[in-house]
Amino acid sequence: MLLHWFTTGRMMAVSGRFTALINRVRYRDQDEPDQEMAADDLVAAIRAMTADTFGGGAEPSDLEPPAAAPPAAPITLSGPQAPWLHIVFFGGLLLGGLASAVAWGTFAPTWGLSGEGFTRTFGDGPATAAVLLGGGMLTGFGTRMAGGCTSGHGLCGVSRLQPGSLLATAAFFGAGILFSFALEAL
Amino acid sequence: MIAQASRSDARAAVVLSLLGIFMGFSLSRIGFGSWDEVHSMFTFSSLRLTLAFLTGVVVLVPAWKLIHRATGATWSPRNIHRGTFIGGALFGLGWALTGACPAIALVQLGEGQLAAILTLAGIFLGNLLYSVVHDRFFRWSTQSCADV
Repeated sequence: MLLHWFTTGRMMAVSGRFTALINRVRYRDQDEPDQEMAADDLVAAIRAMTADTFGGGAEPSDLEPPAAAPPAAPITLSGPQAPWLHIVFFGGLLLGGLASAVAWGTFAPTWGLSGEGFTRTFGDGPATAAVLLGGGMLTGFGTRMAGGCTSGHGLCGVSRLQPGSLLATAAFFGAGILFSFALEAL
Repeated sequence: MIAQASRSDARAAVVLSLLGIFMGFSLSRIGFGSWDEVHSMFTFSSLRLTLAFLTGVVVLVPAWKLIHRATGATWSPRNIHRGTFIGGALFGLGWALTGACPAIALVQLGEGQLAAILTLAGIFLGNLLYSVVHDRFFRWSTQSCADV
């Protein structure tokens, strides 16, 4: 049920989109943060420049035999995406959550988190704001450091048996399990 | 050229928003938006999310193989370095605290759990902070699969 993002012809990765947006903000003075450019991005950029220079078709499919690109994949979705497209995807996630809550009649906006566990563990005072902000920072910091989150490492990486992804996934599930048991014990 | 680029961007926007909605809706229905469910996953008191995650992996393993066989597509290997483990563990702490991995912060917000805006702000801040720290101290490459 989870899984048809490979229709886009790219690995799904959510934390990478956060990274891309942050890079956009940090490096907005430069045209491209080229010191971090992956090889594939470079190829895409060269393709784009070639198309510009020679006025050829912008689609890589015009320049290459089709075997080089998965025919099922819309070519425009591979390679780096425009920053606003990341926001479009994030907007989709938000709407998906909204649609789910509305369709099941559970949509009742609250200032906190729904469910009892969070409040039981952390109370409902101002400290909860610090927990969420701090926890979010750990998540943002950690996923960028590890180079992926549940989608990129956990699903896409583990299913390809990538050692880095297996390690990262073991690390975040391991830490989550240990810490959650520690919370229970408190 | 410009018209062409914006047309392909528009197509990408339609596809991405539909994917986002589908993914957000699915994750929410499975229960990933609930702090209680996530906590139950980590403490093994409910296997609902664990099984959903494992199903995802089990479906994807043959899917990548089939795609590779049918199209010849290959994917670059994921990086591995000290930060893979340390960063993963930090993320695990953050997930257990907030009940949200990066996509879920947005899903929770859509579900009406408005406090998730703090988690979301934290994720952006943490990501920015790491990028600053990384430039100063670390030498490994932090590729993410959004780039490949």
